[in-house]
Amino acid sequence: MDFSWLFPPAINDMAKQVDSLFWFIAAISLFIFVLVEMLLFIFLVRYRRKRPDKQGIALHGNTKMEIIWTVIPALILVAIGVFGSQMTYAIQTPPKDVYTINVTGYKWRWDFEYPEGFKTTNKLVIPEDKNVLFKITSADIIHSFWIPAMRIKQDAVPGRQTQIWSGPTKQGEYPIVCAEYCGTMHSMMLAKLNVVNTDEFNKFVQSGGKAGGGAAGGPGGEGQALAEQKGCLSCHATDQNKLVGPGWGGMFGKDVKLSDGSTAKYDEKYIVESIMDPAAKIPQGYSSPMPPQQVTEEEAKAIAEYIKTLK
Amino acid sequence: MGATATAETKKPSFVRDWLLTVDHKKIGIMYGVACLFFFFIGGAAALVIRTELLTPGMPDVVPQADMFNQMFTMHGSIMIFLFMIPMLTAAFGNYLVPIMIGAHDMAFPRMNNLAFWLFALGGVVFLSSFYFGMPDIGWTAYPPYSIQSQGLGLDIWVLGVHILGISSILGAINIIVTVFNMRAPGMTFNRLPLYVWSSLITAFIQLFGTPALAGAITTLLFDRHFGTHFYDASAGGDPMLYQHLFWFYSHPAVYIMVIPAMGIVSEIIPVFARKPIFGYHAIAYSSIAIGFLGFLVWAHHMFVAGMPLATGIPFMVTSMIIAVPSAIKIFNWLATLWRGSNWFTTPMLFVTLGFIGMFTIGGLGGIFLAAVPVDMHMHDTYFVVAHFHYVLFGGSMMAVLAGIFYWFPKMTGRMYNEKLGKIVFWMYFIGTNLTFFPMHYIGMMGMPRRVFQYDPANGMQIANQIATFGSYLVGAAAVMMVVTIVVSLRSGAKAPANPWGAQTLEWTVSSPPPEHNFIEMPYVTAPPYEFGEAEENYTSQKSFGA
Repeated sequence: MDFSWLFPPAINDMAKQVDSLFWFIAAISLFIFVLVEMLLFIFLVRYRRKRPDKQGIALHGNTKMEIIWTVIPALILVAIGVFGSQMTYAIQTPPKDVYTINVTGYKWRWDFEYPEGFKTTNKLVIPEDKNVLFKITSADIIHSFWIPAMRIKQDAVPGRQTQIWSGPTKQGEYPIVCAEYCGTMHSMMLAKLNVVNTDEFNKFVQSGGKAGGGAAGGPGGEGQALAEQKGCLSCHATDQNKLVGPGWGGMFGKDVKLSDGSTAKYDEKYIVESIMDPAAKIPQGYSSPMPPQQVTEEEAKAIAEYIKTLK
Repeated sequence: MGATATAETKKPSFVRDWLLTVDHKKIGIMYGVACLFFFFIGGAAALVIRTELLTPGMPDVVPQADMFNQMFTMHGSIMIFLFMIPMLTAAFGNYLVPIMIGAHDMAFPRMNNLAFWLFALGGVVFLSSFYFGMPDIGWTAYPPYSIQSQGLGLDIWVLGVHILGISSILGAINIIVTVFNMRAPGMTFNRLPLYVWSSLITAFIQLFGTPALAGAITTLLFDRHFGTHFYDASAGGDPMLYQHLFWFYSHPAVYIMVIPAMGIVSEIIPVFARKPIFGYHAIAYSSIAIGFLGFLVWAHHMFVAGMPLATGIPFMVTSMIIAVPSAIKIFNWLATLWRGSNWFTTPMLFVTLGFIGMFTIGGLGGIFLAAVPVDMHMHDTYFVVAHFHYVLFGGSMMAVLAGIFYWFPKMTGRMYNEKLGKIVFWMYFIGTNLTFFPMHYIGMMGMPRRVFQYDPANGMQIANQIATFGSYLVGAAAVMMVVTIVVSLRSGAKAPANPWGAQTLEWTVSSPPPEHNFIEMPYVTAPPYEFGEAEENYTSQKSFGA
């Protein structure tokens, strides 16, 4: 029987190993579960009270039975423990030839720094045939870097570097999720993993992280892609809805009331300033400025172009 | 000083009779009523969370994302600190421990009263955050986020937990001293009812664990207001220190919420199976083992929190070991049912199909999570949510409900309505499984806990909707429970002293018991569960005037 539909696709060797341990425990658990529930049900029905004053038998215990149901579960658990420990050591030690990517968690996005010196946001592109080591940390609070398809998860802790590695993987697009609660927009702290072949990966590296992984060509063009990649859309809706920050839809060209009582015109200049220096002009109804972002002025202009198109 | 002297005095006022009471039974009942009130508030928060998760997108039921985060924070904090822990240790503990060991009251009745009112104060402080601003930090309050969170939420939360912690410590001391010093003649440790055993062990866990929690949350306050840097990484602090301190209390806290529940199960099964409990000593001593080992497993909450994976291995081993004493109990209960004369009253259904049936699922789920590699995938997902709800709701909650029905005649002097009671059971049983079983799949498939947004593909939305409808059924069951209590109080038959034919001491006195429990000092001559065919005329644990 194939039960793999219970999990996301397993794209690397580690995921397959973890799954095998899972199914090993599952088989044992299923056996114990059926045993306990069956005994419970049979005893309840078979020995239900037939006369109101009927007594059970006066049996206080049985040392032999106690030993049996102490030792057998203990042995089963030892087996799981041994199997689990071996695998833990295997998972912990990365191979020598690894391609290292530094992962940094921010409220609420993931930054990936490649050894060639460029950075991407919320877009992790890796080659299918290399061992990759993720060195994980956080710039603010605790996040947790989780790739369900690889079955790996490590917390991103400020002031600490954690690591986890993966062997060769299968091409495709998979979600990256933040698994440790990190505040307002924790639920939206999502990134994409893109596993590509060597050629595509080389192109991706040569373009400094711009190519590879579905840079969008929608009506918003580059700006839309940037807004998605930089994590803007975790906090800003593309309509008028207020999430953590103000919605972008239909704002361009209007006047915005600021928290100090004055008004400003919502134009390209305002948008670029708000991205590059978030504390300068805060709209009314918001108390704290947006945290600083990894966005260049060029990119901010592209995002402004995109906001212009939103109704 | 006879009964006649007090019979002529006028009936005491409500304030004197209840609010100022030092009677352990009345304090126990007040704890119980207050806890059920908090259960409804915590439950309402859970229903808001489940309703939000009917649809996968941005929050639409709650007005904004923060509100969702506040809801799961309040749900967890209230259910743990204001419902499950005080219900099992203080409500049942206060009512049952003195009367079961043949004492007139707790060792420190006034301290008992103080503990209750501290609990009530802690509850009010918690509730005040609905007005002053709710915390959005999760019940775990991990720094640095909790320190940075906006508003008064964290401060109120810390204050509330501190007050409840003091209440908890006072209650624990009281139980320990009572059990050691107030036992009736002949009530040796080997004749203690198993609920008293569990209560004693739990009290020790509270006494040793709570200070660690108090320390952890105090440092949160210091970091937030007084410029210390316990958890500020940029100044050399370490956020993981908090997690160690927090879980050093909070994992044993799981056993605070489970061991007394197991005690209730051990009381009820022999009575309705009409058989001596199978392996009295194994059950009592396995609780000691759980209580002790409970302090050695805390880091299994932290396998992926930043320590090297291999550091988790010792904790994986201890977590596996702790499954053994739980398994021992399950098998002993099953053996008690074997060749019994099983009577399906409502409490019996709750402890057998309810507790044994569902706690087993929760326990087995724990084995997956105890294995470091599997936990790498499962940690902080809905699989964990499914696991601990099967333990705490499928397990402990079923025992709480069983206990309420079982001792209802004793506490109120009225029999509960058996037909309504069975309806309540089936609603809870079906609702609980519908709510929590799909969560195993939801977690395995990749949905983390504490999120309002998920990917609806792979049947995730359907699974979430089943869970939500299950939770509505649980909500309806809770309302039905109140209906049953009200109907039974108004029109239940008058309860005899011992409607179940049980043998522990509380059943030897009238229902409800007289003010100081025993008119005559009981003298204990036998263990508490001497049922069974070999002795034709079974007697209670006590014989008077020996």
